[in-house]
Amino acid sequence: MNDMQWTPVGPSEAVPPPLPPSRVDFTGNRTEFRKMVTKGAMLELVTFGFYRFWLVTDIRRHLWSNTAIDGDAAEYTGRAKELLVGFLFALAILVPIYLGYFLVGIEFERWQGFASTPLFISFYAFGQFAIFRARRYRLTRTVWRGVRFWMDGSGWAYSFRAMLWGLLVFLTLGLALPWREASLERYKMRHTYFGDLQGGFEGDGWTFFKRGWWLWLLTPIAVIIFPLAPFLYAEFKAREWRWWLNGIRIGGVSLSSDLPHNAFYGLYWKMVGWWLLLSTLFGLYIGGATLLVVKLSGVPAEQVFGPDHAAKSIPMLVMMVIGYFALALAINIIMRVYLQRDLWAKVLETVTVHDIGAAADVRASGELASALGEGFADGLDVAGF
Amino acid sequence: MSDVTAEPGVETKPGQPAIFFDGLSSRRRQVMLTLGDALDIAELSDMQAGTPVVHWDYDEIRRADSPAGILRLTATSAPPLARLEIRDAAFSADLVARCVRLDEHQTTSRGVAKIVGWSVAAAVSIVCVVLFGVPLAADRLAPLVPKPIERRLGDASEVQVKTIFGRESCSDPAGQAAFAKLVNRLRDAAGLDDDMTAGVLPSSVPNAFALPGGKVFVLNALLDKADSPDEIAGILAHELGHLKHHDNMRGLIYNGGTSFLIGLLFGDVTGSSAVIFASRSLVEASYSREAETNADTFAIDIMHKLGRSPKPAAELMFRITGKEGGSGFTILASHPLTEDRLARMTKEDRPASGPPLLTDKEWQALKGICGSGKI
Repeated sequence: MNDMQWTPVGPSEAVPPPLPPSRVDFTGNRTEFRKMVTKGAMLELVTFGFYRFWLVTDIRRHLWSNTAIDGDAAEYTGRAKELLVGFLFALAILVPIYLGYFLVGIEFERWQGFASTPLFISFYAFGQFAIFRARRYRLTRTVWRGVRFWMDGSGWAYSFRAMLWGLLVFLTLGLALPWREASLERYKMRHTYFGDLQGGFEGDGWTFFKRGWWLWLLTPIAVIIFPLAPFLYAEFKAREWRWWLNGIRIGGVSLSSDLPHNAFYGLYWKMVGWWLLLSTLFGLYIGGATLLVVKLSGVPAEQVFGPDHAAKSIPMLVMMVIGYFALALAINIIMRVYLQRDLWAKVLETVTVHDIGAAADVRASGELASALGEGFADGLDVAGF
Repeated sequence: MSDVTAEPGVETKPGQPAIFFDGLSSRRRQVMLTLGDALDIAELSDMQAGTPVVHWDYDEIRRADSPAGILRLTATSAPPLARLEIRDAAFSADLVARCVRLDEHQTTSRGVAKIVGWSVAAAVSIVCVVLFGVPLAADRLAPLVPKPIERRLGDASEVQVKTIFGRESCSDPAGQAAFAKLVNRLRDAAGLDDDMTAGVLPSSVPNAFALPGGKVFVLNALLDKADSPDEIAGILAHELGHLKHHDNMRGLIYNGGTSFLIGLLFGDVTGSSAVIFASRSLVEASYSREAETNADTFAIDIMHKLGRSPKPAAELMFRITGKEGGSGFTILASHPLTEDRLARMTKEDRPASGPPLLTDKEWQALKGICGSGKI
């Protein structure tokens, strides 16, 4: 879900160094954002999810245009129709692939039972490709001071790296994760440009490892003692963000962040709290609905869920479906408010931009990328940034 | 038009200061704006040196996203990323009033209504295809699937079945002979090709099933629970009905089609997998119940043709499942309720007019096909 939380980075005015580093400001109005996602979530329900392309675009436009680097706000120029078209194209490509997967699977199964399971791996590879291409789409729609970001590099080369590193992470039970992230981020950032400035990534796996190895040790404990899990995850995410931001370079411009290790505790616990509250409400609602059906129809409670009165259980079914949709809607809204907007704001307020003068007059370049990658990511249900 | 023209001395009075990005470089330009026949943008540093001016016609000016308090504009004739930023509210209002096509490219509420309308239309069409199109396609396509493909599918599922049960078919010779006799009589009555195969698998689950490509398997526990050849024959006839109707292929096409379409319909509304699962179970169960009812009809015909009653098979099923009504949602059940099937078969009960399908000796041999030992 945090598929859009990379920070638009850029140079600042041509002024003689040394000058104080410039800030990144987020000026988005929280109420406005909440209203936008509430309306969007409702439209998503009414349109069976098709509105997601418009909602995602509106969310990005809001976040981007309220993010000001050195006083100038960024802009997201992507449009929902591009996403829709990308999705339809991706569908047209994915459907034959699914079919082929099915047929190859049969041949494998004929040879040996359940031998086709490894074919899943090919979908993982495709997902990594989609992540890379989706990033390229978002980047080419990111504009700051009238110049867009863009990317070159190959989605398949990236996917190949991600696969090899994934295997290593799997074999080392997750210990290799910092090096995987560093390597993949280096690939992505080296192929990232702002105008004619090339990006880079200077974070290294060892630094990240030193900051988080004890979290790896604690993970088994968190699986047993559940309330620890949000703390651990919040710690991990905060350390990951800080390490990532500190490594980012665009031309001579560099970023730094002093994101505290406990920055996300509040966010994740608010999410957990909302989850509990909403689940309780949903439980109460189902209980109340059952009671109501029992009272009105005179059918004993055990038969409401029973099969003898298929017709009489239909009101019950309808009530459950309505309740479920309301629950999905509410969770949709709080996820977007906390995990996208609030997280975005929280991270940005810690970011500082250094060495502004290196990019005073950047020449625009780079071509727009198609939204096909976003379509794949949507069709395969993968997210990344 | 964003053509840069040198018009010395056109505007002498100071205009409104603003910031301009020309879309070609990231240089932040301080400019002066003047509202004339068109919007004139003059760079401050150039004003002294001859005033090159960029003109934006009012009806080619469009709004771009900006934070609150800033009016950000672009023009259709300018480079796509050229941006003009105005912070003065009064001047902004004045300028906005002149730009009639400022918000032409934004999504309006009519646009949203259009999205909703098209989505509902797409949803209705998908639902119609799920309810009418896919069953029709499955019914028409299943018999057309070439035999070799069906057989390959069958081989694949047989490997899976054997992996689950972990053993080969039971192979007591006398039992096999009896089983073959029973199957052949039913097969001839059913008018199926003789390339079908049948076997008994050792398992403690009382069940029987048909696989694509003409494969029928009976699990040994069903034989243990059966009291007469007619009971097993009726159930085998039911499975042959599935083969005759290509129910496996139909089910495959139908389930594949509906899962795909329902998945498409709900896209990724958060937590949609539960909705997808529920609606799939609902439609697929109704389809499967229909196929089961048809297979029962087929079994009744076969048993009548052989001069035997279909009732014993239903009695065997009833002994195994008991009364089913009273547990779970009936609309989610994949088979008709056993008591309903029993009632139906009882209605079709006729005194035996044909010879017994197996002799007592053969029946005993069949029951011992997996060896005497219990599993």
